[in-house]
Amino acid sequence: MAKQYEIPIGAQHISLLEPLHFKFTTENEKIVATEANVYYVHRGIEQACCSKFKFRQVSFVVGRVCGLCSISHTTAYSQVAEKLLKIEIPLRAKYLRMLVIELDRIHSHLLCLSHVAENSGFEALFMKTMQYREFSMELLEAVCGNRIQYDFSIVGGVARDLKPQVAQSIMERLKKFIPQLDELMDIYKNNWTLSLKNKGAGAITKEDAMRLNVVGPFARAAGLAVDVRNETEDLLPWKEVGFEMVTETTGDVYARNMVRLRELYVSIRIIENIINGLPESALVTETKAFPDGEATVRLEAPRGELFYYAKGNKTQVLERLKIKAPTFSNVAAMTEAFTGNEYGSAPAIIASYDPCLSCTAR
Amino acid sequence: MKKIETTLLNLKNDIAAFYKPDLHHFMVMNAVEVGDKIEVQWFFSDYAHPCETTCFFALISPHEEIPSIKDIVVSAWVAEAELVDLMNIKVENTQKGFVLEPDFESGPLRKKK
Repeated sequence: MAKQYEIPIGAQHISLLEPLHFKFTTENEKIVATEANVYYVHRGIEQACCSKFKFRQVSFVVGRVCGLCSISHTTAYSQVAEKLLKIEIPLRAKYLRMLVIELDRIHSHLLCLSHVAENSGFEALFMKTMQYREFSMELLEAVCGNRIQYDFSIVGGVARDLKPQVAQSIMERLKKFIPQLDELMDIYKNNWTLSLKNKGAGAITKEDAMRLNVVGPFARAAGLAVDVRNETEDLLPWKEVGFEMVTETTGDVYARNMVRLRELYVSIRIIENIINGLPESALVTETKAFPDGEATVRLEAPRGELFYYAKGNKTQVLERLKIKAPTFSNVAAMTEAFTGNEYGSAPAIIASYDPCLSCTAR
Repeated sequence: MKKIETTLLNLKNDIAAFYKPDLHHFMVMNAVEVGDKIEVQWFFSDYAHPCETTCFFALISPHEEIPSIKDIVVSAWVAEAELVDLMNIKVENTQKGFVLEPDFESGPLRKKK
């Protein structure tokens, strides 16, 4: 047996975007075992939501769980609170929530792709991807008022309407983005150097994805067709606006890139359909009720299934709020998928997981 | 959400009889304080459309140890480790120190009496 070395990476490391820690056991540069620790940024948000804040304020608090997918958190929380209040939100609010979720997915996927390029040693592609991503941040600011952490979904509906000139701007910017996306697809798909780094790296099989309960693009890249938008339509009508499942089969970094890029086309189509068919209605359903009972909600965030559990007791303050972020579901698979890979591939593999410890540790 | 009550004695048998990796997706564990007891919950969804959420739950005393379901649901170790750290619940073969530092005060999400 070759001599084994233990190599730590993180919690602060130049190739890690998030404060997580891996300890790799390696033999001749090959990773044979991995340990993960995720305990660096617990902020006690669930506790704060059940003690310091009233249930209507909580949607603004959970928006701070994550800068990237705050719309997913505020929407999931609003939905679970609406279940406890037993109210139905206006149709226009549902469409506007889906619009912002898909704009958010565009910027989140592009951020992940750019970091995969960077960690694969392709800095020019990192900069190009980040440059093309900028439009989505500007559109989110135009719709929500913030580039990140948008307090758009509130209990009962949405906080802002979509102005006609903003809707027009979205359509124009998306039209300009499509050739840029085609260019990115061509590079990520066909660049020989990048494919040497990404093909076969960090692969998991569909069976492993099922066994380890993987979610999001990580699962879909392995051929596991799991997407909450396909499974639940009671709260947001995803299929009505053109949702389509995207899967790949090889389960490696390359397949994850492809899933994210192909999902961008789906997001563009969904946004265009929403704007073209945006119904007229109020934005908020008002109620004076207090949350009662318990409820759960699942929502497809850019990284996968986001789960909220809430329990109310007919007072202003919730009895319990539980948040399960997508990365949390993927931790078990993240540690297994390194095995057999070169240590040098680890940074690109980690970036392709798109981990969010801010969400996971909350 | 479909809730199914179980006991610590029957938990592993109940989940083993229910869980099929190609049909069901294990989401997370949760714990809610109910008076002097704690309701521990195991959440599953299925891959079908439309999908249903199933919750197994057991009422336990704060000092009882719950059995691990890792041998049935491989990825459950993450949720079990989180419950140990955040709710100070004893889980079979699970140490503290995964979600929080090992020397952190146990159970920060438990209500202060």
